[in-house]
Amino acid sequence: MTSVGTGYDLSNSVFSPDGRNFQVEYAAKAVENGGTSIGIKFKDGVVLAVEKIVTSKLLVPGKNNRIQTIGRHIGVTYSGLLPDGRHLVSRGRDEFQSFKDQYKDQISVPYLIDRLGNYVQAYTCYNSVRPFGITALFGGIDEDGPHLYMLEPSGVYWGYQGAATGKGRQSAKNELEKLDSNTLTAKEAVKEAARIIYLAHEDSKDKDFEIEISWVSTSETNGLHKPVPADLLKEAKEYAEQKLNEDEDDDEDENMAE
Amino acid sequence: MDHDPFRWGRPNDQHYGQYNNAIANAAIKYKDGIVIAADNLGSYGSLARFTDVERLFPTGDNAVVGISGDISDLQYVSRLLDDLEIEHNYDSDGHQLKASHIHEYLQKVFYHRRSKMDPLWNSVIVAGLDDDKPFLKYVDLLGVTYSAPTLATGFGAYLAVPLLRKVVDKEEDVANVDEETATNAIRECMKVLYYRDARSLDKYTLVTISKTNGVKVEKNQQSKEQSWRFAKDIKGYGTQVV
Amino acid sequence: MVILSPTLQQVEYALEAIKQGSAVVGLATKEHAVLVALKRNAEELGSYQKKIIKVDENLGIALAGLAPDARVLSNFLREQAMSQRMIYNRALSVEKASNLLADKAQKNTQSYGGRPYGVGLLVVGYDETGAHLFEFQPSGSVLEYVGAAIGARSQAGRTYLERNFESYANATKEELIVHGLNALRDTLSQDKELNSKNTSIAIVGKDTDFTLWDDDDVQPWLNKLDSTSNARTSGGNNGGDDDNDDDDNNNDESGDKSETKPEEENSEDKMETD
Repeated sequence: MTSVGTGYDLSNSVFSPDGRNFQVEYAAKAVENGGTSIGIKFKDGVVLAVEKIVTSKLLVPGKNNRIQTIGRHIGVTYSGLLPDGRHLVSRGRDEFQSFKDQYKDQISVPYLIDRLGNYVQAYTCYNSVRPFGITALFGGIDEDGPHLYMLEPSGVYWGYQGAATGKGRQSAKNELEKLDSNTLTAKEAVKEAARIIYLAHEDSKDKDFEIEISWVSTSETNGLHKPVPADLLKEAKEYAEQKLNEDEDDDEDENMAE
Repeated sequence: MDHDPFRWGRPNDQHYGQYNNAIANAAIKYKDGIVIAADNLGSYGSLARFTDVERLFPTGDNAVVGISGDISDLQYVSRLLDDLEIEHNYDSDGHQLKASHIHEYLQKVFYHRRSKMDPLWNSVIVAGLDDDKPFLKYVDLLGVTYSAPTLATGFGAYLAVPLLRKVVDKEEDVANVDEETATNAIRECMKVLYYRDARSLDKYTLVTISKTNGVKVEKNQQSKEQSWRFAKDIKGYGTQVV
Repeated sequence: MVILSPTLQQVEYALEAIKQGSAVVGLATKEHAVLVALKRNAEELGSYQKKIIKVDENLGIALAGLAPDARVLSNFLREQAMSQRMIYNRALSVEKASNLLADKAQKNTQSYGGRPYGVGLLVVGYDETGAHLFEFQPSGSVLEYVGAAIGARSQAGRTYLERNFESYANATKEELIVHGLNALRDTLSQDKELNSKNTSIAIVGKDTDFTLWDDDDVQPWLNKLDSTSNARTSGGNNGGDDDNDDDDNNNDESGDKSETKPEEENSEDKMETD
């Protein structure tokens, strides 16, 4: 970053001479170090999963949830500055509510993301605010079927079949690319999500982590966004651990052969 | 507000329309839960205009709200309940949205509106299971509340309650009544109400909430074994001449 | 101005303000939650600054940092608790209380016109789902713990809790208070000891409304300790160092931490903290 220290990075809403907004780039930096979040679209829904680094053994296990709901049909998870994520979700809920008040219907996923995209973008435009320090994943079902979106600090958003953000995003993406969301079932998707989070965690192996998974599916949850049931979560974790061990064994075999 | 002594406190057609859906919210406690029923009629004055109106709204995990009165206000209240449930789910803190909470909330809404001189023209029964104990409480357009082991709104307050009290008179009696007895009593009430109240229907929704089965909703219930022979003995009304 | 470069500096500074405040410790089992706090007096003849504030029958907070900020937040929580009672006739859940604080604090970190709150809180309470302890930070982060310590030299208290939290999981409320006092004692510097004037204790839990003990009511609890001064600081090494370790419960997940300054306790030139 050539312009660091020239002052162009100290204020939001200012371009540097080479046309960059440094505050937005710093916000993206905050995301890059956060725990990995992923989303996978499957046949009739979306699964979201997040790696929660356990920063202290005094934390209550299984609490401090990271996946939130907007309305009944949209799940959100994010990597980066967690309080900013709560802010975004709270805005999303306001959008949901005002749409419901006006039209009685549930807001469609693309429309909600568009509204939130504009909201996040506005936080890059003024020097009275700073951008959102998160990248958020949205999974939901509406009358057009399942949707998965990823929204970045700049306000840009795209739809995905599989998406990942946070520290382990690169290895997660490699795995996501191998999945076929047209044939994947809900339960398979949950297990794959667990496996990918476990894999993405390999880079920060020294740290303890928890995994949180939610889904929204026509067949499994009647179009509602919910945490996956405890027994399925357990099954998924076991599957992830087993797969991870297999891979390690394979690596060792290869090494031996050399 | 119309201060004409003969019209004071009555719904103004300009504001409230003629939609009225008077009666037949009848509810009873039994040892493991509650049974509540409401017919599906939406009247337009004396015209039976809609015959598929749902007036029982399951809210939270263990409660149902029965609403009678003005239908547009009913629809508004039902949306409030939906919002309440959605907002409650946002706090994923393991806390329950109980019948008592819903009732307290509605009481605040109704009392607030009556204090603005803009009441919601309804009477409401909130029924549910709170900590495995049957809960049954009333609230109306004035924000007035009361609780009893049997409750009914509108005409039901005159016709259904005496019948239900034969089954459960005092709180102590609740423990001696099983689901079948309670359900039969409610069904009997719905039939009597259909006999005697011209703004009622013999098609109704029945909701049972119990520990074992949770919230059970039975729609399109038909009052059976009706007998209208008594009608020929009724004299002195309408075109009938003695 | 709120700037994200290279991290949220104002928030980092606010976190420093917490470390200037005297230590508070919180512990929770399924049935009870306890707060213990070290109070300071500005001068020998002055009164001791309140560290623990009751919010409702089921809820209370302890503070480290700017006391006026804590009062603003506790007033806010009281309003929220009363409105839950008014509208739903129920107690405010501890998690909801903490999240409300978090969302309120977050606003001050993202927009112009205010500074972040300069106070950390331990929120304890009892509700339908049992007893809970949350740590609140000015960044808008809130996390649930079985044991937490914030304020000056709190790392030593945290160390005690980390060593003992498994053993107090099923503790009685009496045992829990003693554990709390032990942890608080470990935060003391060599020349200090716990006494009935400088110690506050609060408990809330099953069949126990939020109760705060000060002054003479504290003495019986202190009598249960084998010592009221910190034996370990005289030994020297693992007690007081507060820097670096403090960052482990930082919320923002980002790796890059600004350099943490060594702490200066009780420095009179600085803004008054409690």
